[in-house]
Amino acid sequence: MATTAATKGPIVAERASRGIWRDAMRRLVRNGPALVGLFFIVVFVLSAILAPVLTPYDPVTGSLANRLQGPGSVGHLLGTDLQGRDELARILYGARVSLLVGVGSVVMGLTIGGTIGAIAGAATGRVDTILMRIVDVLLAIPGILLAIGVVTWLGRGLPQITLAVAATNAPIFARILRGSLLANREQDYVIAARAIGAGRVRILVRHLLPNSLTSVIVAATLALATAIIDVAGLGFLGLGPADPRTAEWGTMLTDSTQYLREGPYLIFFPGLAIVISAIGFNLLGDGLRESLDPRLKR
Amino acid sequence: MTKYIVRRLLTAIPVLFGLSIVLFVFVHLLPGDPATALLGQHATPELTARIRTQLGLDKPLYEQYLTYISKLIHGDFGVSILDNRPILDEFATRFPGTIELTIGALTFAFGLGIPLGRFAARHIQGLGDGLVTIISLVGVSIPIFVLGYTLQYFLAVDLRWLPASSSLDARLTIPPVTHFILIDAALAGRGDAFIDGLRHLILPSIALGTIPLAIVTRITRASVLDVSNEDYVRTARAKGLTERRVDNRHVMRNAWLPVVTVIGLQVGGLLAGAVITETVFTWDGVGRWVFLAIQGHDYIVVQSVITIFAFIFLMVNLIVDIAYALLNPRIRYA
Amino acid sequence: MALLSVEDLVVRFRTRDATIHAVNGVSFELEEGERLGLVGESGCGKSVTNLAIIRLLPKPAGRLEGGHVLFDGVELSTMSESDIRDIRGKDIAMIFQDPMTSLNPVLTIEEQMVETIQAHRNVSASAARARAVELLSMVGIPRPEARLRDFPHQFSGGMRQRVMIAIALALEPKLLIADEPTTALDVTIQAQVLDLISNLTTERGTALILITHDLGVVAGMTQRINVMYAGFIVETAPTPELFEKPSHPYTVGLLHSIPRLDAPLDEALVPIEGRPPDMRRAPTGCPFAPRCAWRLDVCWSENPPLLAVDRYTRVVTTGPNATHRVACHNPPTSDERAAGRPLGARYRPAPPPPGMIDELAGERIGEVPATMGGPADDPLASGAGGGTSIGPSAGGLPVEPGGDERG
Repeated sequence: MATTAATKGPIVAERASRGIWRDAMRRLVRNGPALVGLFFIVVFVLSAILAPVLTPYDPVTGSLANRLQGPGSVGHLLGTDLQGRDELARILYGARVSLLVGVGSVVMGLTIGGTIGAIAGAATGRVDTILMRIVDVLLAIPGILLAIGVVTWLGRGLPQITLAVAATNAPIFARILRGSLLANREQDYVIAARAIGAGRVRILVRHLLPNSLTSVIVAATLALATAIIDVAGLGFLGLGPADPRTAEWGTMLTDSTQYLREGPYLIFFPGLAIVISAIGFNLLGDGLRESLDPRLKR
Repeated sequence: MTKYIVRRLLTAIPVLFGLSIVLFVFVHLLPGDPATALLGQHATPELTARIRTQLGLDKPLYEQYLTYISKLIHGDFGVSILDNRPILDEFATRFPGTIELTIGALTFAFGLGIPLGRFAARHIQGLGDGLVTIISLVGVSIPIFVLGYTLQYFLAVDLRWLPASSSLDARLTIPPVTHFILIDAALAGRGDAFIDGLRHLILPSIALGTIPLAIVTRITRASVLDVSNEDYVRTARAKGLTERRVDNRHVMRNAWLPVVTVIGLQVGGLLAGAVITETVFTWDGVGRWVFLAIQGHDYIVVQSVITIFAFIFLMVNLIVDIAYALLNPRIRYA
Repeated sequence: MALLSVEDLVVRFRTRDATIHAVNGVSFELEEGERLGLVGESGCGKSVTNLAIIRLLPKPAGRLEGGHVLFDGVELSTMSESDIRDIRGKDIAMIFQDPMTSLNPVLTIEEQMVETIQAHRNVSASAARARAVELLSMVGIPRPEARLRDFPHQFSGGMRQRVMIAIALALEPKLLIADEPTTALDVTIQAQVLDLISNLTTERGTALILITHDLGVVAGMTQRINVMYAGFIVETAPTPELFEKPSHPYTVGLLHSIPRLDAPLDEALVPIEGRPPDMRRAPTGCPFAPRCAWRLDVCWSENPPLLAVDRYTRVVTTGPNATHRVACHNPPTSDERAAGRPLGARYRPAPPPPGMIDELAGERIGEVPATMGGPADDPLASGAGGGTSIGPSAGGLPVEPGGDERG
């Protein structure tokens, strides 16, 4: 019985899989809420980048004669603030700080935290324990308190603020990387790689890290949402960028609280901007999580 | 199980140690000279030198650290820059206010979150589930101060249903015994003050508790769904038990375990959020104190309070972990 | 009258993306005290059929969409929820595959046993407890009074399954459905548990439906066997007869894929080529056709009904003299049974008709390797039925043009 004959046996329906990324993208595109999130994010990013193009006004100077004009008044779609500056312009330029610090802090947190986590996960033993205790110390200081602590310690410049927010999300990445490495290192494909003589670094880079990628992507997206909220929180408490001319949503909000009765819009518009940006990243993050989950075969 | 508890305690110790170092660094290792920072504009060379000796800044670092730690252990966190009063005492006076707020927020978050989560799980993919999911999502994306002012504006300023700020109507006074407004009001037999205190508690609790609410709802929903798909739930139905019994005894008894683990983490978020909430609502508690300290550049107060909060957070997590070990038979009778 | 009568049962799972045709018209009967085996591969519908009987299909997707289930003369499929709850556990009991996950981890064994008893009988807690002790010793658990207070994770796998059996038989049900009861257990424990089930059901005259994919398990335990494939019953016979004279190509394939100690050393195993059917497609024609070496043209379009092998006997549906029935247009001869493949010199399995090829799904249907067909030529290329009339090769379908490629 010749077995070199056709190895194509009877096959029944199977939708061709074109690789995890393509499949994930396919699922993502069909996810309504995720697309809405993406839309919000695009609006947010474009506002930040194209601010000078989108508005003729200067976010820094305004005429006091023009102060506290309500939304919809002539030439000022969103009104003016207590110094006569165009509110819409300030919101658009404010996006820049949020975007810059947001992205910066996530990149920083991912780099530092991820490296620590990867080392801990790869090394195990005492190195792992020590590194994780350090991470635990950071985690013991809840959320924005850690950021407050760092800014109070180092000052109110943009780099310091970025570092402060990075400190709050770094432990998360550390945990993810470590967890992912620990889970994957005992997998059969790693053993197989070692069996053909692959060195530890090569295994780490080519096999283990890529498998952590999906968790990292989801975590980074969600961390961006938190970062935006934390930056605004710092601004609200008076720990935002020290330069009073910088438009930052949290600071804008806190500066306007005395005018809650006369000019509530000055509080709502920055608030709305923060919420929309955060929702955007949260929606996208959730959507990514669902579509990148390899267990969901659809 | 004792092994589990001991191990858990042991991991806490190095973290405490680490926290003390962080506090030391934040307070003593300022970029620039702490003495100059303290003196501010009044810095002259002699004054600076004197302060340095006084603060022990000329001694080696580890000695400074040890002195600092021994002071901490004796409850001496130093004094506030602004009003020169001992930090720990001030903290003790104001903390009850924050506790009341935290409890209010927790009650809101879990009291509403668990039923909502169950509801969503039961109507999965339906309209109810979708609605709950949206609420969860939005809840997690609204910063406390945005929500706080929104609530204030619409419910207090506009509709005047609830008081806008502070913990108690200024015209009511009750003798501060425990510094817990509700307890003090009860002790003094003042029903009106008690009710008033509760009314003041509502908006801040909602503002602070919304993010935890969103998280609790999500976790409850996920947990109930997971458990509902477990084999033992199918077995329970196969035995002919009523849906009610299956739900309460088999589903919920297992589903709320993961929710318990989340309580500890939420407390941390609540402590952090209290700073912002108390600021928005002019609530009398530690958070507001921190805000004023930030404004007044009283960094010693800020960093000390942060550390004390971190310590409390650590302890709460420890207790929650131990409680979980007691509640989960698989760990308790391992 | 039969204890259980299932007639044309249809179960579908309706999800957002697809409908799964899990059970497509299953009929069988069971007498009191009779032991029936339900055999088939994963996904063939054997478990779903039984879940449907007691209406335990996973909601909201699982739907009983057709047919009747008569138990003791009463129709189960349309019963109210509270009525069927009455029957579950008391008249029909079910045990499942994995005893670790089938018991609630946060409740003691006592609580789980007592609640079953008290759900159906008005007895005091202490009476229920006493009964629980009785049951535990019946299934062979030492020191039952002490063990009642333990949690499931404190028992070993075999013990846990015994506890499940105890719970199931607590109220002396008329029918016990055992869904792969030993699959999750060690081989050595399997035999013990199977013996226990066998003894207890025989003692009490409890009817048994034993679901498994393991032919070895049913061989010793059952009086009759239903073979299922793709949601249909394709063959049914008393147990000894099924093993001696398997009449459906699938059954033949199953029996030939079990390695045997008494087979000649160099005899190759004959696997069943192909993959399990896609249950998302509504069935047309015989479900086994894509993988069947004996297929004819008619097999593609008409699903063969379950008919007696010997066409002229009266059909008996239950008992040791039940008629051997098979659903096949072209059942293997006895020589072919022994060989495991068709033996006609010029025989080719019929190619699929033109409309079959689903361009959208990019499927490939109906290719059978030359090994099963005997003669060397690729059946599709042979020109039988105008091989290339299969249709345009759309969507990248690698359909061979006539004869130039065999590999």
